[in-house]
Amino acid sequence: MATRKETPSTPTAPMASTSPGATLDSPVKQIQIEGLVVLKMIKHYQEEGQGSEVVQGVLLGLVVEDRLEITNCFPFPQHTEDDADFDEVQYQMEMMRSLRHVNIDHLHVGWYQSTYYGSFVSRALLDSQFSYQHAIEESVVLIYDPIKTARGSLSLKAYRLTPKLMEICKEKDFSAEGLKKALIGFEHMFEEVPIVIKNSHLINVLMWELEEKCTVADKHELLNLSSSNHLEKSLQLLMDRVDDMSQDIVKYNTYSRNLSKQQQQKHQYIQRRQQENAQRQTRGETPLPEEDVSKMFKPPQPPPRMDTLLIAGQINNYCQNVKEFTSQNLGKLFMAEALQGHNS
Amino acid sequence: RSELTNLIKTIRNAMKIRDMSKCLEEFEQLCRAFLKSKTIVDKEGMPPFYIRLLSDLEDYLNQLWEDKEGKKKMNKNNAKALSTLRQKIRKYNRDYETEIASYKEVRLFAMTTQDGRFLVICCCCFLANNTYQVFGNIFVTFLSQSPGDCGNRMHESFNGRHTSEKKKEDRKKRHKRKERVEEEAEEEAQEEDEGEWEKVKGGVPLVKVGNQMFAKGTEINTTVVVKKLNEILQARGKKGTDRAAQIELLHALANISNENILGEGILVKIKFNIIASLYDYNPNLAAFMKADMWKKCLDCIDELLDILFNNNNIFIGENITEDSENLAIIDSQPFRVRGCILTLVERMDEEFTKIMQNTDPHSQEYVDNLKDEGRVCGIIDRLLGYLETKGSTEEVCRVYLRRIMHTYYKFDYKAHRRALGLQGETKSEQDAEESEGEDSAFIMDRLCKFIYAKDRTDRIRTCAILCHIYHHALHSRWYQARDLMLMSHLQDNIQHADPPVQILYNRTMVQLGICAFRQGMIKDAHNALLDIQSSGRAKELLGQGLLMRNMQERNAEQEKIEKRRQVPFHMHINLELLECVYLVSAMLLEIPYMAAHEFDARRRMISKQFHHQLRVGERQPLLGPPESMREHVVAASKSMKMGDWRTCHSFIINEKMNSKVWDLFPETQCVREMLVRKIQEESLRTYLFTYSSVYDSISMETLKEMFELELPMVHSIISKMIINEELMASLDQPTQTVVMHRTEPTSLQNMALQLAEKLGGLVENNERVFDLKQGVYGGYFNRAFRLDQMAPQKYFDVNLTISSSHDR
Repeated sequence: MATRKETPSTPTAPMASTSPGATLDSPVKQIQIEGLVVLKMIKHYQEEGQGSEVVQGVLLGLVVEDRLEITNCFPFPQHTEDDADFDEVQYQMEMMRSLRHVNIDHLHVGWYQSTYYGSFVSRALLDSQFSYQHAIEESVVLIYDPIKTARGSLSLKAYRLTPKLMEICKEKDFSAEGLKKALIGFEHMFEEVPIVIKNSHLINVLMWELEEKCTVADKHELLNLSSSNHLEKSLQLLMDRVDDMSQDIVKYNTYSRNLSKQQQQKHQYIQRRQQENAQRQTRGETPLPEEDVSKMFKPPQPPPRMDTLLIAGQINNYCQNVKEFTSQNLGKLFMAEALQGHNS
Repeated sequence: RSELTNLIKTIRNAMKIRDMSKCLEEFEQLCRAFLKSKTIVDKEGMPPFYIRLLSDLEDYLNQLWEDKEGKKKMNKNNAKALSTLRQKIRKYNRDYETEIASYKEVRLFAMTTQDGRFLVICCCCFLANNTYQVFGNIFVTFLSQSPGDCGNRMHESFNGRHTSEKKKEDRKKRHKRKERVEEEAEEEAQEEDEGEWEKVKGGVPLVKVGNQMFAKGTEINTTVVVKKLNEILQARGKKGTDRAAQIELLHALANISNENILGEGILVKIKFNIIASLYDYNPNLAAFMKADMWKKCLDCIDELLDILFNNNNIFIGENITEDSENLAIIDSQPFRVRGCILTLVERMDEEFTKIMQNTDPHSQEYVDNLKDEGRVCGIIDRLLGYLETKGSTEEVCRVYLRRIMHTYYKFDYKAHRRALGLQGETKSEQDAEESEGEDSAFIMDRLCKFIYAKDRTDRIRTCAILCHIYHHALHSRWYQARDLMLMSHLQDNIQHADPPVQILYNRTMVQLGICAFRQGMIKDAHNALLDIQSSGRAKELLGQGLLMRNMQERNAEQEKIEKRRQVPFHMHINLELLECVYLVSAMLLEIPYMAAHEFDARRRMISKQFHHQLRVGERQPLLGPPESMREHVVAASKSMKMGDWRTCHSFIINEKMNSKVWDLFPETQCVREMLVRKIQEESLRTYLFTYSSVYDSISMETLKEMFELELPMVHSIISKMIINEELMASLDQPTQTVVMHRTEPTSLQNMALQLAEKLGGLVENNERVFDLKQGVYGGYFNRAFRLDQMAPQKYFDVNLTISSSHDR
């Protein structure tokens, strides 16, 4: 186990995903993470998370120019029913104070969360990230995917809400018109921030030393050829989301149908009234007073579009995952085929 | 009045000790007191004890007067008092001469007869009470009790008295009973003829009629009795009428008419009325008869039937009007009586049901009550015999239905045993069998067919059909039952029937389903039971209890009505058995189906309830060994899903399930064998569905061993599956193996297909939104590729993965 944990933190393999959509006006353009933080997160998941349960924690660090340095973290305690009156804020403050006493960075710069097959785009995440970013501008959320990691490559991604989304969240206007005005699609909700894992020189030296001492670490996970299990799970989740999406669309459909029907009625009503008034005028009578039409025709409650947007984002995410996974796997299969041909 | 009695007592005491002065004193007081109560006496007649005293006193004084020696011994005071008293009483008694005379006469005559004591009692009591009205009746009793010679003499003297007393009758009114109770002799007398005395009890207007049923001396004939009967009946239904007393009166009337030999006509009429008033006894429709009333009712009906059977010349019917009734005995003319015995019997049957409904089914009382069913059936049988000869077809139909209603739910064990070829082992049992007569099946057949042919009301026929089906089903005649059900087309229009018929229909359907299950027609069983079970209100639908519901849905009135519809406990269908049969048949259908359509996106459920049970089972955090019937079925389903028929078998058929369910069937062993076989077959199917993707080929021999089925059976099952395209395989005859074609998609491919389908739906929905916005329908294919960009891309991804996993 130790060797596996070691893998990502070795300087030879700093997994840094390049982000395509980092916008210029964001205060954070790059994130530099200490190996310690990564290890601590992984350890946290190993110890407490299992299956589809997620673990969460607080990131601590500093902003240097446009670079966010994350130097430490601590987990949120797991919730149990019997300590319902547990004060989380109090706990965090205490923790940060204690860390400060031992001269560790104590500035709150975001939070981290584990994920299950990349299903993290949710309302809860959006809300909490919004409140973080609202209070501390430079906050990020680190998403750690333990399943992908177990397959051989560390998966760690940092996300921030785009300024556009921040604005919408501030106004709490999730109607179709609001989203349309803000020109926001599921692609523009989160921006990914590139990550660099950095260790101190002393640690690097230690790693070199350790690498020489330890026997060959088995890194077979990377070459695992079995794919169906993972794909099946992903597909299952994808399908669920698609179902949700369908439902949302149906809901929206009925809404817009109702709306248009009502609009028609309203229109008819106004026309009739106008005709009547015109007739009255020709007869020299006083026209009927204009009534408040909007009161008579209450528009149906428009369904909130934010969920649909989130689902779309999630679907996108899944698709990316599947695509990535299949392309990798395909490569592996070709490699295996070649190997087999070579052997025989 | 009590003053008078007190005075009399002291006088009598004084007489005993020969204290004449005291006697005189008291006598004067008594006279005064008597004068005072003159008004009462006028109204109520001469107090008998007074007369008796006067008479006794005079006798006594005369005796003393003649006894010269005794007189000499007396002191002066006493002697003087004696003479004055004697004179006074002579004078006084002159006023009451007649009364005293009559008293004396009776006494005299009593002494002369041998049966002295008895007659003294009787005479005293006559005098004391002045109840000349009952004279005749008591006379009759005496006549029977005393030996002939003496009786005759008595007769003569009584006749004499009879005339003399009759004159006074007008003057003298009857007395309250309590005042009469004075002397032991009287009490004894009372005991003698209690029946008659009873009637005076209570103060209702009716009593007057009861006391002197008939005016003394009136010739008791038909018209008089009928008049009296009508008089009694007029009180019926009126407020404050003592219904119990009324019944008593009618009984008395019946006795009188019997004694006077007025003929059966009148008796039948009275009996009719007695039974009717027995039914009337409970004003509340919901209340049921008390046990003694019920017994009385049964007895009455029995007697009535006796009469009807013994006398062929009685016509009864509802359509005979009161006027055209013929009750009197006229030669060569039959009696004609208004009344309908059938209605009475029907009512009795209903009362019986009511009694059963209101008895706690787990008590001894229930068993005792149930024993009466034999009598009820007997009465119905007798009535049936009677009406078959006399009644109209309509009536016959009605009584037949009653008979059917008492037969259809009973399992005919004797016929069953006979069918199995097992003769009763002991001689006595055989005798019993023979005396039993025809099988209930024949009876049902005969009765029902008659009703089918003759009945003109729809309801009776419907009931008869349902009962017939039920009976068939109960005795495992599945095809007859099913055909009858289908032919009757009841399923189409049963919703228009009234609730009791609907309940009967539900019961029949359930029985039919259970019958199908016993016969191994799992699918039919499931279909028959589906409607009842899926509602979750089986209990209510079968009329076997009320569901707990809040009062908003059902007010008290409705609840009462529903309660009246309940089926008595002994006719209940075991709900657990029903549920178990349903669940097991659902399991046998659903598990292979689930295995076959594991990846079908649009898989429908065969049985919702079964799925519900499965889910409940899954929700359990900790799975212990199954306890209840449902848990057993769920556990069995799980092992069946794996194709493990042995475990499944052990879950379905074990001690617990045997005692709970399977032992309730009459042919337990057959059912169990059938069940095992079904489990084996369905497990084999499930196994093939689930694991066919693992096999390239499988030998039928192996399958045969695995599922302990015969080879032809395995062969036929697999062939059937191949024909139905459920299993992609072919049979290799020479090696007896099943060769899999392996064309079924893998789970991943299945999933991808599902996803593609779902995405299609999504796109369609999206298109609709688009249409709405554009206001054009069908504009989807003409627009720019904007909306469908996402979906095809994903589809492509999926295709890629499919091909990749295929490469493997």
